[in-house]
Amino acid sequence: MGPPSRETWAQRLGAFRASPSAFMAGPEGEDLGRDLLSELRSEKLSEQTKVSLLVLSLEYPAQLWPDAAAAEAAATSLLDTLVLLPPRPSALRRSLLLAATTALAAGDALGPTSGASRRLLPLLLGLASGRDLGRGFGPASEQRPLQATACECLRELESCKPGLLGGYLGLLRSLLGQEGPVQPLSLLLALALRNTLVIQARARAGLQGLLVAGDTPVTGGPWNWTLAEDGDAHLQPQAPSWPAAEEEACGLAVLEPSPEEARELRAAVAQLLDTSYLLTPVAQAQLLWLLGWALRGLRGQPPVLFKPQLVRLLGTAQLTLLHAVLALKAAFGEALFTAQDEALLLRRLTLAAQHPALPLPAHLFYLHCLLNFPENWPLGPTGEETAPLLLGPRLCRGLLPSLLHDPSALLAHLHLLCLLCAEDEEKEEKGQDWCPQHYLGELLAGLRQRAALHGGPRALATLCFQASYLVVHCLATQPTVLTPLTHGLAQLYRARPALAPHFVDLLDRVGPELGEPLRAALRQEVVSRPGRDEALRWHLQILSKVADGKAPSATLGFLRAAAAHCSDWGLQQALLQVCRALLRAGVAEGLADLLQAMARQLEDPDGRDHARLYYILLAHLAGPKLGVALGPSLAAPALTSSLVAENQGFAAVLMVQEAPAPMRLSVGPRRAAGPVPVLQLQVEVLEPLYSVELRFRVEGQLYAPLGAVHVPCLLPGRPCRPLHLPLRPRRPAPARLAVRALFATPAGLTCHAHLPPLLVNFADLFLPFPRAPDGDNQGFFEELWDSCLPEGAESRLWCPLGPQGLEALVACHLEPFVVVAQPPTSYHVAIRLPPASRLLLRLEAAQGDGVPVALRTDDWAVLPLAGDYLRGLSAAV
Amino acid sequence: MAQRAVWLISHEPGTPLCGTVRFSRRYPTVEKRAKVFNGTSYVPIPEDGPFLKALFFELRLLDDDKDFVESRDSCSHINKTSVYGLLVGGGELWPVVAFLKNNMIYACVPLVEQTLSPRPPLISISGISQSFELLFGIQDFLHLGQKNETELNTKLNQLPDLLLQACPFGTLLDANLQNSLDSINFASVTHPQKQPAWKVGTYKGKPQVSISITEKVKSMQYDKQDIADTWQVVGAVTCKCDLEGIMPNVTISLSLPTNGSPLQDILVHPCVTSLDSAILTSSSIDAMDDSAFSGPYKFPFTPPLESFNLCYYTSQVPVPPILGFYQMKEEEIQVKITVNLKLHESVKNNFEFCEARIPFYNRGPVTHVEYKVSFGQLEVFRERSLLIWIIGQKFPKSMEISLSGTVTFGAKSHEKQPFDEICIGGTAYLKLHFKILDYTLTGCYADQHSVQVFASGKPKISTHRKLISSDYYIWNSKAPAPITYGSLLL
Repeated sequence: MGPPSRETWAQRLGAFRASPSAFMAGPEGEDLGRDLLSELRSEKLSEQTKVSLLVLSLEYPAQLWPDAAAAEAAATSLLDTLVLLPPRPSALRRSLLLAATTALAAGDALGPTSGASRRLLPLLLGLASGRDLGRGFGPASEQRPLQATACECLRELESCKPGLLGGYLGLLRSLLGQEGPVQPLSLLLALALRNTLVIQARARAGLQGLLVAGDTPVTGGPWNWTLAEDGDAHLQPQAPSWPAAEEEACGLAVLEPSPEEARELRAAVAQLLDTSYLLTPVAQAQLLWLLGWALRGLRGQPPVLFKPQLVRLLGTAQLTLLHAVLALKAAFGEALFTAQDEALLLRRLTLAAQHPALPLPAHLFYLHCLLNFPENWPLGPTGEETAPLLLGPRLCRGLLPSLLHDPSALLAHLHLLCLLCAEDEEKEEKGQDWCPQHYLGELLAGLRQRAALHGGPRALATLCFQASYLVVHCLATQPTVLTPLTHGLAQLYRARPALAPHFVDLLDRVGPELGEPLRAALRQEVVSRPGRDEALRWHLQILSKVADGKAPSATLGFLRAAAAHCSDWGLQQALLQVCRALLRAGVAEGLADLLQAMARQLEDPDGRDHARLYYILLAHLAGPKLGVALGPSLAAPALTSSLVAENQGFAAVLMVQEAPAPMRLSVGPRRAAGPVPVLQLQVEVLEPLYSVELRFRVEGQLYAPLGAVHVPCLLPGRPCRPLHLPLRPRRPAPARLAVRALFATPAGLTCHAHLPPLLVNFADLFLPFPRAPDGDNQGFFEELWDSCLPEGAESRLWCPLGPQGLEALVACHLEPFVVVAQPPTSYHVAIRLPPASRLLLRLEAAQGDGVPVALRTDDWAVLPLAGDYLRGLSAAV
Repeated sequence: MAQRAVWLISHEPGTPLCGTVRFSRRYPTVEKRAKVFNGTSYVPIPEDGPFLKALFFELRLLDDDKDFVESRDSCSHINKTSVYGLLVGGGELWPVVAFLKNNMIYACVPLVEQTLSPRPPLISISGISQSFELLFGIQDFLHLGQKNETELNTKLNQLPDLLLQACPFGTLLDANLQNSLDSINFASVTHPQKQPAWKVGTYKGKPQVSISITEKVKSMQYDKQDIADTWQVVGAVTCKCDLEGIMPNVTISLSLPTNGSPLQDILVHPCVTSLDSAILTSSSIDAMDDSAFSGPYKFPFTPPLESFNLCYYTSQVPVPPILGFYQMKEEEIQVKITVNLKLHESVKNNFEFCEARIPFYNRGPVTHVEYKVSFGQLEVFRERSLLIWIIGQKFPKSMEISLSGTVTFGAKSHEKQPFDEICIGGTAYLKLHFKILDYTLTGCYADQHSVQVFASGKPKISTHRKLISSDYYIWNSKAPAPITYGSLLL
């Protein structure tokens, strides 16, 4: 296959442009970048075709050369092609410079280590300086355009790598002074100057004579990457470019140049501004933005330099120029604009926002600028759109909305009108000839009339609701506006119920100021109609939104009438939606009858089922729980299907949810009494809980299964009496109890939570023996003592005593079990250990630091536990 | 201050996509910066197909506006400018500057040099005004003298080369694309120093200066007690200066006769070098009084090569040139109309053309008309439900003419008859179209002798004037009519 011809290239480029991603994923995608570069040197293709190939590479370098290495190689190849061009005029030179610049900048290849960068940058700077680069760079006639192109390329590289030209400011200044095309050099110098100032300010460094180094060698020496490679200099989200922002927040540190530097800087800026009339209007605007930005962070640089330009700029209708003036206004405020200047600027802006000679998009932009006008002394909160103080009713006359406006124009002007109405109310001084509220009312009425048009486009309805929303948003506190608006909207619904979705949307988004009365008005509007209506589905949609506990009988009456006409599934579902809303609102009376009737009469089985389900829910769930069951599901807010949402709501309410532990459970003081050991539990809760059930499971089957403990209500901060948990040990041994809590939350959900396990200690199982019936305690004890052997076990051990001595130890731990006591030296203790064991202790002849203990038990397995227990006693005192 | 991408999309209702991308251009180096500046809020520029779809949805240009769609129709989705957010690829592309003009959608996305969330106000984005200038510039280029689809295609084919000149890297250098076209052709000329960037070459030939003043008069007339009629004159002064030298200086003075109406709201071309403060402050916002500045209005400037609009102005003349009333009464399937028009005696009674168009919206086709005119003739366009009363070149001596008649309509069919959102029920208008040559309503003229030219050779100076109507409405006084605030007699 030979090289692709012009036609095949045209086809290929067409296919690529139609969908670059699809093309690159296809079989031809991989080779496109390589083919393109090699074709540029082909002698068969015309120059025009080659330019079109280069234009493609200007637009899609990332697709053609996806990584830095490929971009570097492409740039190198493009530069090679450039060098090889024959020395006659060629449109390719300019395109090749642009393409090489784009490849390097967009491909992340620009840098001191890139060979292509090392070739391109000096070449561009040489061209920009207008030096003769030899015959290879075309005839002399082409030098001038190439000089401009080189400046553009350098400017783009400087934009992508701020500081790149920081070392060449002096050179650029001298070029601007000599000959050279004014616009490209001015813009390049202004950008480089701005970037240098920002970088130096961040680094807390001065200008270091950068502006005067006029004799920087253009070629020969390596490129000066100092500023561009500085850590702070890399392209980063810069300060918000709107200069009104706090300077600290912008990261724009304040630079304090030396007097000499300040003079040089002033001279450079003046030089740029003086020739700015030679620039195209858009370029002038760029220059002003850049210089405004550059000088903003500088101390001792009065912005009066800009003053001579302002009158000329204020007279024009050019959008970019007026915008740039506003930027200067925001940057320098009173330092550049006196109160009179501010008033004049505002008047010009007001004029531009309505001038019949300007197009609508410009009007709207100017209107936006008016509402965000950078005032010298703003009063209102920042960040919100407000009418500037000086913009009185008189100035605004021509800016008020009219039905003849386009939608966006109408909304923009309406917003201004609303702001004026709000101000008007604050001022309480109503002039004779100024009645914005009245005009606003008329306008809204006109919008509603258009929206009411049957078969009219949806855009008209949307506009009406957007206008209503905007008015409520701005004037929520003005009943003189809201009352007629509510009334008018209800009338609009009467005229065109098909707008129901717009009403529902509006109700969702406005506050109660309009929402409440509008709900009532719409409900009234709907229920006063006969149930049989073409617009039944819209009525039901509205009712499901507005039905609440108020006037339920009228609503139910309407629904009963409507039920007879709900023949299809959709209508029945809409009807059920309303029932659902009523259920949630707590309407019970009459609703049960309706639901029962629906459960019998509806044609669709699904509808009947749902009616029955609602009836069952109504009959069985208490109010709050019902509310939650039918409330919006939190689980799936994005789902629009009411059925899914509903099922999820039920699922949430009727199922038990896992929840984090809302309570703390601990074992309280022992209570050795009764037939079985009982744990006393203390509870603290973090939130109100209802119908609490605590379930316990013994690990290792040491005890018989434990019953649950029930508490009707637990409230945080309110002490709860201890809970009693009877234990039924199968063996006298300590155990761990796993605990789960089941409870209802105030939201009506039933939840369960795992609590940390509880430990049952050996001593928690101790029970006293009944008193000896005849009072002979000693005999009773001896009888028990003897009965332990021979099946049981006997042991002796040393029980250490704390400083309190034996008496305190016994009083603290063994008091309930003492059978015979001879304080302070001798105690006989008998402990019953359920289910059927006993532990007998003789503590006699205590010494200073301990007491010898003789112990017997009928259960040898108890011995080690008893030993541990006794040894631990002194520590536990 | 740069653009990330620009598109031209033709609006073709009824086709599957409702439109075609006719031109698009992306700027990858700017995109690179957008990615860094916007951070996590960065949304890449989509391919043409998805962009078209998202933009048309947002602009309501798709044919599917039957159902309520929240992301478009919600009452809180308020757009007050020509700047939009488009849902593409899971993110929202913002700001997209776009507008529709002559069935072409002009769109571009400026670079925002900061994060996009929260959205900064548009006024703080330097690229926004540049977007508008670029799009206006393209629009001017495409529609300057363009007559048909072939010419449009030719111009569209020139766009890639032109943007390579005017906006090579996404930063706009010149919004005047004609200038860029010339600069391609002038490329071989050696430029002297201090050549303005907005003037790519120098003129060689006979010096001449041409000045034409075009005034458009618009009016809203109601013929009602409580609503004031309004009218306004908007003037544009267009110049073409063929003068030798790099920077010839010219001063043009606009003058008014003694009873002329002062010029207000004057906007000048950027080439005007200085402006009298009286010109700068003369504004329609202020109440008129005798002290109002009434000229002469001097405009010193250095002209560009091409024809340009030296200035625009408005003026409030004491009376509308034609005062009239329109009465329309509905009687079942027919309406009765009465129209009366009176030319003011001060107005030059010599029209290039003058006609009154009487449309009937939201009704069926015209099936029958019975009428009587005191002057001129009536043309009936049945299917379009439109009457055109051709008045011709002159009003009769009495200066007053009238039309009365009865119009009968057939059954309404939505496809054919025009829908109008304003003209509901009895609300209706007639619209006057006229043009008077060598005349301005304000009296404004450029005196040949007052034109000063500082250039070699004495130029030939020609001046032209004309008055044309624009949005000249007379509303049915028997029904409600849309009013502006200025019409309210409070």
